[in-house]
Amino acid sequence: MATAATPSSLCQGSECLVLGIESTAHTFGVGIARWGSKGPELLRDSRRSYVPKSGGILPREVSQFFSQVAAKVIEEALSLNSISARELDAIAVALGPGMGPQLRIGATVARALAASLNKPLVPVNHALAHIEVARLTTNLRDPVVLYVSGGNTMVTTYVDGRYRVFGETLDMALGNLLDTFAREAHLGPPYVINGVHVVDKCAEGGQMIEGIPYVVKGQDVSFSGILTAALRLLRRGARLNDVCYTLREIAFSAVTEVTERCMAHTGKKQVVLTGGVAANDLLNRKLDMMARSQGGVYAPVPKWYSGDNGAMIALTGLLALMSNITVEPERAYINQMWRLDEVDVPWYGKLL
Amino acid sequence: MVWQTTLSGLDWRNGLRLIKRGAESEIREGTFMGLRAIYKVRVPKEYMNQALDRALRTQRTLKEAKILDMAAKAGVRVPRLYALFPSAGLIVMEYVEGPTLKDLISSGDNWRPLAVEAGRQLGLLHRAGIVHGDSTTSNMVVSPRGLTLIDFGLAEFSTSVEDRAVDMHLLRRAVLSTHPSLASEFIDLFVKGYASVMGDAHRDVVARANEIELRGRYVSARRSVWAGEERS
Repeated sequence: MATAATPSSLCQGSECLVLGIESTAHTFGVGIARWGSKGPELLRDSRRSYVPKSGGILPREVSQFFSQVAAKVIEEALSLNSISARELDAIAVALGPGMGPQLRIGATVARALAASLNKPLVPVNHALAHIEVARLTTNLRDPVVLYVSGGNTMVTTYVDGRYRVFGETLDMALGNLLDTFAREAHLGPPYVINGVHVVDKCAEGGQMIEGIPYVVKGQDVSFSGILTAALRLLRRGARLNDVCYTLREIAFSAVTEVTERCMAHTGKKQVVLTGGVAANDLLNRKLDMMARSQGGVYAPVPKWYSGDNGAMIALTGLLALMSNITVEPERAYINQMWRLDEVDVPWYGKLL
Repeated sequence: MVWQTTLSGLDWRNGLRLIKRGAESEIREGTFMGLRAIYKVRVPKEYMNQALDRALRTQRTLKEAKILDMAAKAGVRVPRLYALFPSAGLIVMEYVEGPTLKDLISSGDNWRPLAVEAGRQLGLLHRAGIVHGDSTTSNMVVSPRGLTLIDFGLAEFSTSVEDRAVDMHLLRRAVLSTHPSLASEFIDLFVKGYASVMGDAHRDVVARANEIELRGRYVSARRSVWAGEERS
């Protein structure tokens, strides 16, 4: 890491301050990242999450919520750090992947802010931001990354300029599997109570039963068959605790196994877990055991940065800005399907 | 072939030299009834529920053996099966002597007939309803018996054009990454051998392999970033 690197010409002084806006799913988050004498650091961040009263996320309702809280969250992030908007060097925004209506709120706010402050706008890929915040906070700088959240499940690692997707889900995301099963089994919403997912709670006292398929196809996982089979078992009178236990055991083992294959294949010895499901105890235990058995080390992203947040967008925006990556506000289009492996990461191994 | 369900009391690993450790298996070298042999064992995964782990290892070991057996019966050159211990996750098979195709190309020997033969072997495998899943030049051994396909750890029963094209794509990327200047001639000869077995069906596979190349984001292309590296 180049700790003594000077910030790019786009920064005002010896320090560089970037404000980042996250709005891809159910959280509107604003964070600030700074390039100081010791390299990149995260300042305090602010966020508001939309919690549905029943069912899943309705994009239109969430975007209405976002437009109500946006100004407040931005003000809060600035005042928490006693920073005025004038001091910022750039505005970063997650332009994808995510849900259209929510992305548009973040993009609109960011464009307006950048234009009114006359500061550069930096486009950030949401998945990349989850990875970069994990690399910074775990101090594991060249890891195999398992990224699991409500909308994403992938195993990726940096090779030759970009993060390459080694394996991913062929259908639904891991977080979506847990939430959808909980909803159908009448365990939620809410899906997380006191930091524990309702499926984890329900799995206590359960044991392994037959009837749920374990699907790892080459380097990819598939969860829709698991969901269907689990719900069928319930209808046929299986114990709910056993179904929760088995579904979770199979889904977590499958993502751990793909991560293991990526380690063996690339020879990398560091493993990092990031994304909304990263706070899960059992998944952490499995990955830790797996990494040790492969002679490697493992660390999860800290809990505060596991879910969607503005700090990771600010961090990635800072690194991009210092690599001279900006976008004209009128060209800052959202991209709901923006893939991680389309993004160049010129700062890898240099700035971070 | 020996078929047993348990290996109790047999400390068979003693004195067997470890050649390679992959994500799920250890490859050791030893002898079996006087013959030089490969011991491929799927090792228990500590992080999995024991019953699940045992079931998966048994299932995968059986499937790999079945694939080897079916491929051999279809005339594909593959390692001979010596013994199978499904519940122990162990397959004992022939040690195929010789350099890998990758090393042979590097050595400057005449590889041209072998490119045709590689295509023919993959064609025979596909015609038998099997795809290899990791068909690189590192997994082809040039033995005195002839070019032999090894490492069926990711092989599947499939006749889909997509899966067959992935095999062809993996091979092409492997050659491109290790021997770029020879790649186009190699592939032409390879396709000639492949077509000699697959007939007109080869056209769809070649077309799809080209398409996969362009897609650049699919399973196959993702693998290609690492293609040419050794693994098991």
